[in-house]
Amino acid sequence: MNIIGPELLIFGVDDVAACKQFALDYGLTAADEHRYVALDGTGIEIYPADDADLPAALPTGSAIRKTVYGVAEQADLDAITAELSKDREVKTLADGSIEAVDDLGFVLGFMVTQRKTLELPAEAVNAPGAAPQRGLNITAVSKEDVGTPRTLSHVVYFVPDFPKAEAFYRDRLGFVTTDRFTHVGPFMRPAGTTDHHTLFFIQTPPHMQGIEHFTFHMGGPTDVMTAGTNMVNKGYQSFWGPGRHIFGSNWFWYFKSPFGCNMEFDADMDLHDDSWTARESMPGADNSQVFLLQYREKWAPMGPPPPGAGGKPPGAP
Amino acid sequence: MPAGIRLCDLSELAEGPLGFDPFNEGQDSVLVILRDGNVYAYTDVCPHYGNTTLPWKKNAYLNNRGNRIVCAAHGALFTIENGLCVSGPCKGESLTPVPVIIENNTVWLVTSRAGENEL
Repeated sequence: MNIIGPELLIFGVDDVAACKQFALDYGLTAADEHRYVALDGTGIEIYPADDADLPAALPTGSAIRKTVYGVAEQADLDAITAELSKDREVKTLADGSIEAVDDLGFVLGFMVTQRKTLELPAEAVNAPGAAPQRGLNITAVSKEDVGTPRTLSHVVYFVPDFPKAEAFYRDRLGFVTTDRFTHVGPFMRPAGTTDHHTLFFIQTPPHMQGIEHFTFHMGGPTDVMTAGTNMVNKGYQSFWGPGRHIFGSNWFWYFKSPFGCNMEFDADMDLHDDSWTARESMPGADNSQVFLLQYREKWAPMGPPPPGAGGKPPGAP
Repeated sequence: MPAGIRLCDLSELAEGPLGFDPFNEGQDSVLVILRDGNVYAYTDVCPHYGNTTLPWKKNAYLNNRGNRIVCAAHGALFTIENGLCVSGPCKGESLTPVPVIIENNTVWLVTSRAGENEL
């Protein structure tokens, strides 16, 4: 089953206008009335919570109504249909995608991916000892730069039974666990990507089940910083970051959102194949991030000289 | 004058809840809501993690219907009248009330109990 990763996240939200504005300010583009997309066409869809055509909400009321995965080709949809039909209903929708419910109650969709293949440079870095990645007289940044989300990266769920969730995605859909936090849950990637994770589960009481955050990949750490700074400048409130995670090595910056979950920017995630052996560590701050920074308003070590300063160090000839 | 910090004129709350930074911490730490003629004030901290603020942008403390306080991190909903979380991660826990008094149409944060930052 060549599942590539999340293609669309479908939300039923409390404040549609606020969510649409948030999506635009985050850097997504409106593809139609409901769909807001990254550069490759993956993205989110925003509907009012009471939209009758949406899949039913979880009993907890979480705004995530459906997670749609992109697969490589029709044969993958057929394989998923054959597998999941063994013990549950698999609907084929008018657009050719399929829909089923996972073992936790999350509604899943699968579609042949429509994402565009991106041909964009990664953030280029110059470092002593290495060949320059950015040539002579090419400047890296300008004050106007704001990073644009490139592709839907991953989604994180609060779940009441992470071993049950992990087993479903592993045994029924071919996901692989890349790392795990003890007693919390696994980071998982589907077979069709080398990204460290497209899915992470966090064990919680049942009343918390739902989406914890979702995020898009950016072109590099500077894009995370410029996009996040742009959000701060527009009045949005940081939840966590910027910083860099240990598992996955991805840079992160999380913002609270009107979706009732956090929305993250991430960049520079580790890639893995089947030769990787999953690590495990205890959850907590020390194992979650290499470093954590905190935004402050721009400032520079300038200003008038201190009283009595004459432009040269005291005692200088 | 009460032993406290002036937050705002009562009339300013008519447009919706407001966040304040009365202790100059660099971010809002108190939210104040006027509803049905009563003023409610809570610390701007979600009990879920105990150290994160509620809104997704300044003063966005209420849900769309305006009948619940909402934490934008994970969608927790709290009653306005007593700060009880009725849905979400910290269901059953409560926001911490902040003592305020109204005098001459001015909302004051009562600090004499905390003993700090008195005017």
